[in-house]
Amino acid sequence: MLELHDLRKTYGTVVALDGCSFRVEPGRITGFLGPNGAGKTTTMRAIFGLVSLDEGTVLWQGRPVDLATRLRFGYMPEERGLYPRMKIADQLVYLGRIHGMDGAEARSEAARWLNELGLGDRASDPVESLSQGNQQRVQLAAALIHRPDLAVLDEPFSGLDPIGVDRLSATLAAEAERGAAVLFSSHQLDLVEDLCDDVVIIHRGRVVAEGPVDHIRGSSPHRVLEIDADGFDPAAMERRDGVVKVERRAGVWRVWVRSDLDMGSLVAAAGEASQVRHLSYGPPHLSDVFRELVA
Amino acid sequence: MNLARPFGLIVRREIVERARSRAFIWSSVFTILIVLAVILVPGLLGGRPEQVRIGTVGEGNDPIVAAATRIAEEDPEAEIEVSAVRFADEEEARRALEEGDVDLVLVDGVRLLVPAEGFMGGGSGERLVTAAATAVEIDRLAAAGEVDTVRLLVEGPLRREVVGEGEQGDPGRFVVAYGGLVLMYVAVLTYGMWTLSGVTEEKASRVVEILLVAVPPRLLLAGKVVGIGSLGLAQFTVTIGAALVALQATSSFELPAVSVGQAVILVLWFLLGYALYAVMFGTAGALVSRPEDAQTAAFPFTVVAVLGFFVSFQVLDDPTGPVAVAGTLIPLSAPFVVPIRHAMEAIPLWQSVAAVVSTVAVILGLVRLGGRVYAGGLLRYRGRVGWREAFRSAEF
Repeated sequence: MLELHDLRKTYGTVVALDGCSFRVEPGRITGFLGPNGAGKTTTMRAIFGLVSLDEGTVLWQGRPVDLATRLRFGYMPEERGLYPRMKIADQLVYLGRIHGMDGAEARSEAARWLNELGLGDRASDPVESLSQGNQQRVQLAAALIHRPDLAVLDEPFSGLDPIGVDRLSATLAAEAERGAAVLFSSHQLDLVEDLCDDVVIIHRGRVVAEGPVDHIRGSSPHRVLEIDADGFDPAAMERRDGVVKVERRAGVWRVWVRSDLDMGSLVAAAGEASQVRHLSYGPPHLSDVFRELVA
Repeated sequence: MNLARPFGLIVRREIVERARSRAFIWSSVFTILIVLAVILVPGLLGGRPEQVRIGTVGEGNDPIVAAATRIAEEDPEAEIEVSAVRFADEEEARRALEEGDVDLVLVDGVRLLVPAEGFMGGGSGERLVTAAATAVEIDRLAAAGEVDTVRLLVEGPLRREVVGEGEQGDPGRFVVAYGGLVLMYVAVLTYGMWTLSGVTEEKASRVVEILLVAVPPRLLLAGKVVGIGSLGLAQFTVTIGAALVALQATSSFELPAVSVGQAVILVLWFLLGYALYAVMFGTAGALVSRPEDAQTAAFPFTVVAVLGFFVSFQVLDDPTGPVAVAGTLIPLSAPFVVPIRHAMEAIPLWQSVAAVVSTVAVILGLVRLGGRVYAGGLLRYRGRVGWREAFRSAEF
C-alpha cells in the first residue's frame, strides 16, 4: 500500500502541497482528481522522489520509498516522451532493464506488449515514426513493462479516442487484477466514476475527499432527481421546500435537493407530469461532487 | 543498491544508439575522408616546387650553383628551384641566413654555412648543394688527374658550419605537440557537444523524467559522459590510425617517434580533457528546454576551451615559461597545455602530477556540482533555467 502523509511543498510564494495525505491500495484503481494547479503532478513526482518535499513522508508497505523501491514502481509522467530515434522495442527493453529486468525477460515482455498494442510489426521502427496515439500507447507499455507493484499515470487518457480510452481502461483494470496499486489523474470525471474503485480529490494542495467512488458520491449533502417528462413545471418544483435548484442538462431536468428530504413526496410531485420517459433518484455524479468540493 | 548495472546500461545505450545513428556514421566517414584528403591530395596534385636560396660570398661558388641548378633541373620529380644571392661579405651573409632570407651560404666554394636545425630542418637544400659541390670537385680533380674518392667521401667537398642557436627541442617533438594540441581541441569540443546534445535530447523529449525514477541524476550524467567519451575515443583512434597509415603510405612526412609513455599521456589527457568539458557541457544542456538553445547555454565553456587553445600556442613557443606553468596548474587549460609540454619534454614531474591531481579533483567536483545543477534543471521544461536557480532548486 502507498501512503502519503502530510506532504508539503512550496515554490517561492506558491503553495503546491499543503498537507496532502491519502492512500492507494493494491489491487484497486484510484482516480486522482483536482482542478489545474491543485498539486496533482507535484504529488505524483513526490511519490518518485522527483520533488524534494518541505515536509511529509511517502511510504510503500510501511517503509520510506528509496531507489530500490522505486524500481518496482511504474510511471507515466504528464510530460510524455521517449527517445524519438530509438527503435520502439529497444526502448522498451532498455526501460525494462533499467527497472531491474534481465535482458531475456525484458525482450519477451516488450514483444508481448507490442503485440498487445497492435504494434508488433513496428518493433524496429523509431518511436518518432508512430502517430501520437500510438506513441502514447508505447509510453504506457514503458511504464508497465516491468510489472510494477505501483503504477502512477499522470493524465493517461488525455488525447485518446474512445477506442483508445476503452483499451487503456481494460489495461488498467488488468493491472489492478494482477494486484498492482494503480493511481491515475484525469479530468474525465465520468470515466473515473466508471473505472475507479477509489477516488482522491485534491484542491489547493489538500485532499478534500478520499474513498470509494460510491462513498464519495453518497457523502454529498445533496441528491438529484432526474426527470424527462411532458408537463414538468421546474418553477413549481424549485419553490418546494428542500429543493436547492433545478437545472436542465442533456434534455433532462435535474432537481437538486437536500439529502434528508423525503424521496416519496418528491417523486410524487414529479410524477404529476404526464408522459414520464425517464425518472431517477440518487446521489450526484462524481463530476457534480467534484464541482461542489472545488468550486 | 548496486548502481553499476544501470550505469552499464546507460553507457551501452549511449554507445549503441549513437554508433547506429546516421549522423555518427556520416560524420565519421567525412572526418576520415577529410583527413585522408589533406594528406593525400597535395601528393597527388604535386606540391609547390621547393625553393633553395643559396647565398654566395667570395669567388669559386658559381660552378657549384650552376651544378646545383643543373641537378635540380635534371630531376624534375625532385621539384626544386635553385636561386642565388650574392653578398658583399660573410657577415652580411650570416645575418641573412639567420633571418631566413637564404637557406644556406657558400663561402669561396669551399665552406658551407647552414642554419641550426629548426622545425623544418636543413633538408634538401643542403643535400643538393653538397651533391653539386661533390660533382664540381670530382670534375676538377679528374681534370687534374688526381681523384681521391676516399678523401672526398670522408671529408666532403665543403667544410660545414652551423650558424645560430636554432630552436629548442627537435622538430619531431614539435609536430607531436602541435598535432596533439589541435586534435585535443577538436576532440574536446566535438565530443563535448555530443554530450550537450545528448542531454538536451533527453530533456526535450521528456524521457528523462522516467529515467530519473530509476537512476540518480549524477549517474545519468556520468553514464552519458562515459558512453559518449568511449565512442569518441574509438572514432578518434580510427581517424588518427587512418591518418598514420596514409602518411606512411605516401611517405610525405617523416613520422616522429612517439614513445609509449607519450602515447599514454596523450590518451590520459584526452580522457581528462573530454571528461572535464563534457561534464560542463552536459550540465549546460540540462538548463535549456529546446535543442536550439543548447549552444547558447554552452557558450561560456566554448569560450574557455578556445582560450585554452590559444594559450597553448604561447606554450608551443615557450614550453617552460610562466604561461606554460600557469596553464598546467589551471585545470581548464591543463588538457591543452600539459600534453604539449610532455611532447616537448619540458615539464617537471611535480607539475605533471599536480596537473593530473587538480584536473581529476575538478572533474569530481564538477560531477557533484554539475549533477546538482543537472538535477535542478532537468524537470523544468519551460524556457531556460538559470545556473543559480537550478542549483538551488535541485530536487535530488
